[in-house]
Amino acid sequence: MGALKYLTVKYASIDADFLQFCASHGIFSVEDFLVHDVYVLVASAEKLSNSDRLKQGINQLLSIIETLHQPWVNGLVLLEDREQNKHCLSTGGKSFDMLLQGGLRVGHVTEFVGPSSSGKTQICFQVASNVAMKLGSVVFIDSGNSFSPTRIKQIVTRISGSVENRVHGILQQAMRNIECHAVFDVYALLNVLHQLKSSLESQAGYKARLIVVDSISSLIAPILGGSNAQGYALMVSVGYLLKKLADRHNIAVLVSYLTFCCLLAGSI
Amino acid sequence: MEVLRLPLSASQKGKLISAGYTSIASISSTSPSHLALELKVSENEALEILKNVSDGSRLKRTSSSLTVLNGAQSAWDMLQEEETTRVHITTSCADLDSILGGGISCKEVTEIGGVPGIGKTQLGIQLAVNVQIPYDYGGIGGKAIYIDTEGSFMAERALQIAEACSHDMAEYSRLYHKGPQACEVKTMQPKDFLENIFYFRVCSYTEQIALTNYLDEFIPKHKDVKVVIIDSITFHFRQDFDDMALRTRVLGGIALNLMKLARKFGVAVVLLNQVTTKYSDGSFHLALALGDSWSHASTNRIILHWNGDERYAYIDKSPSLRSASAPYSVTPKGIRNSSSNNKRIKHI
Repeated sequence: MGALKYLTVKYASIDADFLQFCASHGIFSVEDFLVHDVYVLVASAEKLSNSDRLKQGINQLLSIIETLHQPWVNGLVLLEDREQNKHCLSTGGKSFDMLLQGGLRVGHVTEFVGPSSSGKTQICFQVASNVAMKLGSVVFIDSGNSFSPTRIKQIVTRISGSVENRVHGILQQAMRNIECHAVFDVYALLNVLHQLKSSLESQAGYKARLIVVDSISSLIAPILGGSNAQGYALMVSVGYLLKKLADRHNIAVLVSYLTFCCLLAGSI
Repeated sequence: MEVLRLPLSASQKGKLISAGYTSIASISSTSPSHLALELKVSENEALEILKNVSDGSRLKRTSSSLTVLNGAQSAWDMLQEEETTRVHITTSCADLDSILGGGISCKEVTEIGGVPGIGKTQLGIQLAVNVQIPYDYGGIGGKAIYIDTEGSFMAERALQIAEACSHDMAEYSRLYHKGPQACEVKTMQPKDFLENIFYFRVCSYTEQIALTNYLDEFIPKHKDVKVVIIDSITFHFRQDFDDMALRTRVLGGIALNLMKLARKFGVAVVLLNQVTTKYSDGSFHLALALGDSWSHASTNRIILHWNGDERYAYIDKSPSLRSASAPYSVTPKGIRNSSSNNKRIKHI
């Protein structure tokens, strides 16, 4: 929210007198206001001549803050939400579905970890094709130039089980459901996720069922370590954003991660 | 903290947060001079910060009501694009081309690794020549950038391969373009082939990083460049590196840069790699150098190895190509199909 003075433009009850009153208590920004004891503030406002205006200002600030935080929910509401919204998305492979007890759970971030050439990208393709064909739209974020439309076409053809020449309609529909973004650094990833968030919040018709990030490790590895302390903060904010998107908008998130052994001095 | 996701330096972000600007909306509503006063920075810096902020938020505002986000492509559009405009650079060996689906494809990063003497540099030079084959002969008519870190590029060998290539093209035109058409089709001289290869010699890893960054400006100025070959991306990273974590970070950065180049300009990036010995499960075996973290840098990975007396190429990792292997040989004319009399000379 920042400094209080920027709120004067939008809210009439927060005027210059109010700002001066707050300044006299050492409150210059919303954070300061939150930290300060509200009752003490109200009591000192009573003593002044324009106490009504000041109390109006305080209430206005409190109501702004009220709209910004998450509402409290109880266990029953959560259970209902879980039963109605948070289903499992089938991965397209029976053994995977058994392992995950139904499939990828909506509202959770599922991570596939493995060494190189173990099949992570193929799993991502398989899950994306399955969801695109049966359930809805998929956002595929590719950080390694490995998204291959021909391979997706092969997988969709195989899943649909129909003959080559009759599969065109299903193929087109399914592939139109998959959007591919090529990102090459973590800031671009954050941009895409924020854009997705604002589209989901503003546009009524836009809905996504699955987000796939193929190899988040290659985006985060270059920024961690060294003298740059921001790397960890960025990593945490990516994780936080993915979880928020998954939970609020009922999306399943699939992330793939490349493991590699620690580099010891001898093993170049 | 929305400010965290802006690509600014740590000190700038710290100043923004301590001045109370934690959201993008609050920064974009101030004027540059006001911002400069608040953060105690120069007005130019404040202007730069505001530009970064507005670039990011502009993306949001211009997204249309279509179902596709800004900057994305649907898989269907990509498939149509691929089926109509896919270009491949032939390797002059029919078996190798067939397992690669036509040749080395543009817009992808291909890594080729093998033991010394297997023919990596030969393959690199062959590709630098083959990318220049004109459209009329089934090629893509482009230019090549050859980045040499080991000093193994020999101009005489390139001339020899170019001569063989132009000889093959002349024979092709003689057989298939009979009559008046034959005169119109342009034949390339070996000298022309060499003129279209841009050669860079790098002698340290910092030069290598600088050159990778410089290619971002170089390629738009020379729009015909269709392939970038880096002969031995490993050489400068194997010695003199004390800090392994730094090496991983630097390599990760280079990998992302190269992938961005391939995607943005539609060029084929070919990386030649060396091998090292890895110890796992109680046995030693050969693996490509630079560690497992580097395996993410390329779209396709091809390993060249000896099988008896013949040279073989094996596709190790690819999102769309089947895992297969094909024989090839190195002849005075360059890389060609394997035939039984081109074998390794037995050392007695």
